[in-house]
Amino acid sequence: MLPRTARWPATLALVASVLGLVFASYSTFDYAAHLDRQLHAVHCSFIPGAPASEDVNNACRTAMYSPYAALLRGQFWGGVPIASFAVGAFAFFVGFALWLVLARERSPLRARLFFGVLGLTPVVASVVMFFISLVRLGSFCKLCVGIYVSSLLLAVAAGRTLMDARSSVGVRPGHVALPFAWLAALGASALLPAALWVATLPDYRPLLASCGKLPVAVESHGALLKLPTKEPRQAVTLFVDPLCPTCKALHERLLGEGVFERLDPQVSMFPLDSDCNWMLDRPVHPGACVLARAVLCGGASRARQVLEWSYDEQETLAKLGKDGAALLKAKVVSRWGQDMAACLDARSTTLKLNQHLQFAVANHVPVSTPQMFLGDQRVCDEDTDLGLRFTLAQLAPQVLP
Amino acid sequence: MNPTIVDAQLQPPPADGGPASPPPPGPAIVGTAVAALLVLALSGAVAAQVRAAGTRLEHPEKAPEGKVAIADHTEAPYCTPSFKTVLQRVLNSCGLVGADSARRGCQPADVKTFASISDSDFNALFTPLKDRGAVVLFDEASDQLDPDAKKLLEERWQDRRGARYFFVVARASRTGTPDRNRALSHKRANSVRMYLDEQFHDPDLDKQVGLLWLGNEFAQLDKSYCDWPSTRGGKACSGEAVNRSAFVSWVDCRL
Repeated sequence: MLPRTARWPATLALVASVLGLVFASYSTFDYAAHLDRQLHAVHCSFIPGAPASEDVNNACRTAMYSPYAALLRGQFWGGVPIASFAVGAFAFFVGFALWLVLARERSPLRARLFFGVLGLTPVVASVVMFFISLVRLGSFCKLCVGIYVSSLLLAVAAGRTLMDARSSVGVRPGHVALPFAWLAALGASALLPAALWVATLPDYRPLLASCGKLPVAVESHGALLKLPTKEPRQAVTLFVDPLCPTCKALHERLLGEGVFERLDPQVSMFPLDSDCNWMLDRPVHPGACVLARAVLCGGASRARQVLEWSYDEQETLAKLGKDGAALLKAKVVSRWGQDMAACLDARSTTLKLNQHLQFAVANHVPVSTPQMFLGDQRVCDEDTDLGLRFTLAQLAPQVLP
Repeated sequence: MNPTIVDAQLQPPPADGGPASPPPPGPAIVGTAVAALLVLALSGAVAAQVRAAGTRLEHPEKAPEGKVAIADHTEAPYCTPSFKTVLQRVLNSCGLVGADSARRGCQPADVKTFASISDSDFNALFTPLKDRGAVVLFDEASDQLDPDAKKLLEERWQDRRGARYFFVVARASRTGTPDRNRALSHKRANSVRMYLDEQFHDPDLDKQVGLLWLGNEFAQLDKSYCDWPSTRGGKACSGEAVNRSAFVSWVDCRL
């Protein structure tokens, strides 16, 4: 009987590949479900098969909506998810590892070397995605972590196989063309799901401009805020709420896509807080009125900073908002200075905020945030996440870097 | 001990001292078959999922009952059908809505006609606006706004919230000739409107402010209106004085 240490790398590779395949498949299928432009539950658990989560703010949804989840997003609505490539690659490694497990010491040297080298590639991709999650997204989705861990285990197995192969003697090398054939098979396996994905995608173009127009593009009092950007190329009107997580996410997506600096945004504050917004019978985001006033008080020079601060500190500010307006005001004043205190309570600020809300009424927009209009064309809510880049490429290609 | 070397050592030694004999093809076939099946099955599943999403996209499920609200003006409980009837007629008659939108203001005689209700019922319609609005009082035979009147007007104007229309219902006196009273109440209504225009330069003013000026033949106020918020609160008030006024208020009704 062979020593156990001779077999564990291949066995580990098989287990790691199966795990990676499961996590990548869940991720891909969740992504595919969202191609109907609707909101669905997403799987976000380390336990394969655990129920999907309806939570709109879970880290897996954040990762899925990020610009890093898919390739070719400008060419195809939603792009092609990176996880779909992983599905094919892990499936290939399942078969390859199974061969190594079954063949044991009789597997050719070139097979071991091939596996030793190519088995490291998933972890390279995972390391890149890990740092993106850490630095850009600030959160880790459990399915992604599952793939990272699977890739790491596969890399450990591959590394050990490589070391063993380099020091082994008397092992049959195998045909010289085999590594090329395996490489081609790996490539084909990784590409096939993605190719079928692209081939079966519906045509979204007729839907993009189907969500209405902005009947009154100009606020008659000039009350809307113009946010400064570096290279404004396209007028855009945004209805936002400083405490709305989806608004924050859209803002981050626009920044992440490199699009925001090419927009010429006018912002209409639309706090979903019954304290100032009569369209609600209860506050959806308590404290949003205070923050909307703070953004208005920021004026042309600081409005963008105050809005982005509200997004950055959203969790803390939302908590303060629930505890009362006084605490929230104190936080705003401590960050933006004493002159903000008088402005927050000024009647002129209330009047201006009211003009923003009346602008929403004049345009008969839905009572929801965020809402984005490219010129006077409304961007459908369904196209502001997965399909954002494709939508921009179709409706305003000049804003894409 | 290096396990790989052990592996190699455990293999049967080749007869010619060269590499080991070819391995049996079974494991390779199994591995290849499993990989191929997995790739094909999962690719097919991916394609099926994408196609299913496309079908849902083409034939969306019926939207749930709870529709998203559309941004609109406030609809306060006092917006009864009677109130709305008067409101609609005032707006039409004053040129704020409808085909006759070039027309500004209303004729006193119209009020009786379009309101089609008694004096007391007409005034009762405005009772729920007691705290939302205010009574701007004038000196006898004057249409000049005093500082308190200007201050109160500014406060009320800026307290718009979700209202669509700002109503000004001017009156003159319970005594005197109807013609004289109509002329004076007309001036008072215009004083209010002009002050708002001067103060706020609101480009939408004409679309928001509805003016009514009443002679003494319709809807005069009794002394109980002295209790309403006014520019001369706390000072002596009589049934005669409270009619030298303009009642102003935002109206929180949709039409």
